Amino acid sequence: MEAAKSLKIKNAFSQNAIWIVLVALILIIAIIDANFLSITTLRDMLVQSSTRTIIALGAAFVLITAGTDLSAGRVVGLSAVVSASMLQMPDYASKFFPNLPQLSLIIPIAIAIIVGLLVGLLNGVIVAKFNVPPFIATLGTMVAVYGANSLYFDMPPNNSQPIGGLRKDFTEIGTGAIGSGQFSLPYIVLIAIFVAFIVWVVFNKTRLGKNMYAIGGNIQAAHVSGINVARNLMWIYAIAGALYGLAGVLEAARTGGASNNYGNMYELDAIAACVVGGVSTTGGVGRVKGIIAGVLIFTVINYGLTYIGINPNWQLIIKGLIIVVAVAFDIRKYVAKK
Amino acid sequence: MKKWTAALVIGALAVTAAGCGNANGEGSTSGLPKAGVAIYKFDDTFMSGVRNAIETAAEGKMAVDIVDSQNSQPTQNDKVDLFITKKVKAMSVNPVDRTAAGIIIDKAQKANIPVVFINREPLADDLAKWDKALFVGAKAEESGTMEGEIVAEYWKSHPEADKNGDGILQYVMLKGEPGHQDAELRTKFSVQAIQDAGIQVEKLAEDTAMWDRVKGQEKMAAFLASKGDQIEAVIANNDDMALGAIEALKAAGYFKDNKFMPVVGVDATDPAQQALKEGTLLGTVLNDAANQGKATVELMRVLAEGETPTKENTGFEITDGKYVWIPYKKVTEASK
Repeated sequence: MEAAKSLKIKNAFSQNAIWIVLVALILIIAIIDANFLSITTLRDMLVQSSTRTIIALGAAFVLITAGTDLSAGRVVGLSAVVSASMLQMPDYASKFFPNLPQLSLIIPIAIAIIVGLLVGLLNGVIVAKFNVPPFIATLGTMVAVYGANSLYFDMPPNNSQPIGGLRKDFTEIGTGAIGSGQFSLPYIVLIAIFVAFIVWVVFNKTRLGKNMYAIGGNIQAAHVSGINVARNLMWIYAIAGALYGLAGVLEAARTGGASNNYGNMYELDAIAACVVGGVSTTGGVGRVKGIIAGVLIFTVINYGLTYIGINPNWQLIIKGLIIVVAVAFDIRKYVAKK
Repeated sequence: MKKWTAALVIGALAVTAAGCGNANGEGSTSGLPKAGVAIYKFDDTFMSGVRNAIETAAEGKMAVDIVDSQNSQPTQNDKVDLFITKKVKAMSVNPVDRTAAGIIIDKAQKANIPVVFINREPLADDLAKWDKALFVGAKAEESGTMEGEIVAEYWKSHPEADKNGDGILQYVMLKGEPGHQDAELRTKFSVQAIQDAGIQVEKLAEDTAMWDRVKGQEKMAAFLASKGDQIEAVIANNDDMALGAIEALKAAGYFKDNKFMPVVGVDATDPAQQALKEGTLLGTVLNDAANQGKATVELMRVLAEGETPTKENTGFEITDGKYVWIPYKKVTEASK
């Protein structure tokens, strides 16, 4: 009886470990500085988690198929630069395209997302058709995409200068909110929530989602059971790429600018958030709820530790510890099962 | 499958080679003395400006080959070896690591190819090893000093800037990469300049935003949440971080309804100039990329001809036969 009860508690603990860590972190910070618990800080953290959530969800698609995607960060940078280059104010002194007419907002955004999708599709083709291991395939595109972005960014008259002077209607997407003052809800948070919902639907309610888990769980079995593995993989990488593309657009809108080093190393943050959020690096396992928690943990670390003035080098050490400890805990769950 | 792959690789290489050929073939540079330039990394905003200035200044004077060292000292040394193999007449190196300049000078001296260092100052002992090793750059502390002076001038001419009326300037500092010479010097000398102007200061918060606009915004949001209206000035080590901070300030309701915050940066980038015009950025400091590029080309040209650079043949003042110091310039909306 006692044993069963303690097992139950243990289970509940390990199932929700990630949320417990999140709450504990917030509590520790709040004990050090009680003002931390406010609507402003909460909203700041949600805003800062928004693009990261979208990138992490993209990376999760790939991770769940037992793949990995190192190109995420550089795709974010590419789409940030592409969208920003076409969305400058007409009277801005140094425009990327001096003679570009005022485009409807949707066109540059769509182009940037499609660029992301195409890079993702390329990843998918390399992985699925040429059987290159995902780590290597996306390593290649990561490097090449950065090169392509830098070429674009270096085109005269821009010559590698940061792109600024973005249109107000565009930056409004990243900085605006419904309502005002204390109780406003930023658009960017709503976009992230909407994307998370769509991804949840894809993961749980569609054939693509089921196939994704099947491929990640056991690729041979998936193959034998009649799943077109190659086609599914291409779709999955393409969707991931489109999500990075969207995230890049939002980064540009949020900061009101872009340069080719945007997104640098975001892939590692995304992968870290996923694994801390319970996505298994060996594939087949991962839930939207966990991924969001993973992203939130890292935002709380970034934001909260800056808030209470912790030395940035200590922030890195804490971040590293959390990655290892969270995954060590998580692995125990599966080891126990086997 | 194998044949396919081979064909694909060869095809890709052919296309790439053709593309590169085009890029290098622009303009007629045959007959001009060859020069090699190794930049520490191509995605650095300021060095991109210097790179463009070198290209412009070299037109009709030298055939320059500019390469990316990808922020890696070993890569840069390989590029220098390549220049030596190609027998360039002069080279210019923007060191990834300033302490590595000694080895580059040894290589250059052995091949008797003059070398001009740009932007990151080699150690004096290294530079003293050979009379054909020179340096073009700015005094990093000067940019910090000027930033501080802009803040001090504002503070003195705007009594309302002292929001809590305690006579002390409460500021937050957004630093570049920790340990980076520019970051450390700008941080130190900006505050120093404010104090030298007779103003008492108090640091409310300081954190690194890695020269980055996104991080500048995120750190500033955190500062605002924890310190709020206590903050009376924002000092950033560069414009990208200053502009990020401005976005966070806008989100917190600044720059409208008479709510102002003095924010200063360094670099005078195009987006920063725009922010000056909009009245969100108080001031920035121009690191004069155009003249750094021009001085680099002039030194290389004179050295390639085997002459000793002087003020007469280069147009730039040369200190101790080694250094060309390009001064920073303050940029504010009023100064334009």
